[in-house]
Amino acid sequence: MAYFTGIAPFLLEGAKMTLFLWALTLVLSLPLGFLVSLLVRSRFRPLVWLTEIYIYIMRGTPLMLQLMFVYYGLPFIPVVGVWLRFNRLTAAVFAFALNYAAYFAEIFRGGFLAVPKGQYEACQVLGLSRMQTLTKVVVPQMIRVALPGITNETITLVKDTSLAYVIALAELMHAAKATVSRDSNPAAYVLAGLIYLVIVFAVTLVFKKLETRYRLMEK
Amino acid sequence: MAVIEVKHLRKAYGDQEVLKDISFQVAEGEVIAVIGPSGSGKSTLLRCLIDLEKVDGGSITASGGVLVEEGRYRGKKEAGQATEKMGMVFQQFNLFPNLNVRDNLKLAPRLVKKEKEDALEKRCARLLDKVGLAHKDTAYPALLSGGEQQRVAIARALMMEPELLLFDEPTSSLDPELTGEVLEVIRQLAAERMTMIVVTHEMGFAREAASRVIFMDQGRVAEEGRPEEVLDRPRQERTRLFLRSTLKQ
Repeated sequence: MAYFTGIAPFLLEGAKMTLFLWALTLVLSLPLGFLVSLLVRSRFRPLVWLTEIYIYIMRGTPLMLQLMFVYYGLPFIPVVGVWLRFNRLTAAVFAFALNYAAYFAEIFRGGFLAVPKGQYEACQVLGLSRMQTLTKVVVPQMIRVALPGITNETITLVKDTSLAYVIALAELMHAAKATVSRDSNPAAYVLAGLIYLVIVFAVTLVFKKLETRYRLMEK
Repeated sequence: MAVIEVKHLRKAYGDQEVLKDISFQVAEGEVIAVIGPSGSGKSTLLRCLIDLEKVDGGSITASGGVLVEEGRYRGKKEAGQATEKMGMVFQQFNLFPNLNVRDNLKLAPRLVKKEKEDALEKRCARLLDKVGLAHKDTAYPALLSGGEQQRVAIARALMMEPELLLFDEPTSSLDPELTGEVLEVIRQLAAERMTMIVVTHEMGFAREAASRVIFMDQGRVAEEGRPEEVLDRPRQERTRLFLRSTLKQ
């Protein structure tokens, strides 16, 4: 027990970084994913192809590889490489945000598909503009359908932040590994696991609340 | 003056012609019942009038302006003006599930006409009262019966103060015991001389409420006239066949 309290402050420092990376990724990837889901629906075909290629790459390659590429690989690109030398946190946020935006875009796209054609027609005959139709009628319905998928990804992201370990970002996993190596005692892994569980529990609670609120709105 | 005038309308899906040379006009205060077998083009015709579908030929002139002239559409703005004074009620109601009854009614006039909140509130209360749903003003559509949803949809269309109201089989997705309350509202509008085109399978309603019946068959207007002429003394054989088959059901 005394050992646990001894290593706790160091691990909690790491947990702070984990939470920071998680929050920053969400704040960036949710709006970006929404934007991408709109681009996929655009009538300008080349734009649709470009976004589909982007989504394919993000979903088709390991997140760990993307992380390493952003941190170690980008600086080697001729000419522009010098401008792409990021610190660890920036590189991690950059890679995570781009990757998660692709997943969120797909979830939003599914939500858009769930809005019946009749909703668009009702808006048209009432004289609503395309923008008004989107913001007042389509998006609120789309979000309700997308929310469970968003919750799922958000929880996955808590655990995925541990991948930033490969670029030596000082997050929770990194702290746990360092402690285990230093003390030759695996207890730090247990404590790290508990901290992840607590974070996931809190996140689940918040999204459950959101989901019930959206459901209440329509029932 | 005609509220809407349709001349030589043609429409095809691929090489299947669904509307063949349709012409008619509707004067102010008229209630037109459009009847006919399914697949005869009734709904498509209605959807063309309010620009939910594009025609391939012919002209549509509404009191708001020209929508299409000899198969050529004007710009988006002109189309908007031409259909501005029309409202539509759908078979599937199409209420906004994310908004309660009152907000369903107020959304469009608030956004499109930029009306003041107290004016909207007054009209909303009056129209909900008219369709008998004043007590449901804060309910969400999912909690209403089909008949109630359709009455809300009618009130929502009336909020935009249309000069012409289109009904696309307004009772076809309702349980039989709920059709009466919806038809009653439409009857009441007819009594108030609201100009309407109603695509319907309810022959009793067509007989009582319509000032004119249009019978469509295979994309054409096969017969047209006062309800007692078309329904009681049809001149065409196909009208007779259709009426006999609906009576049997």
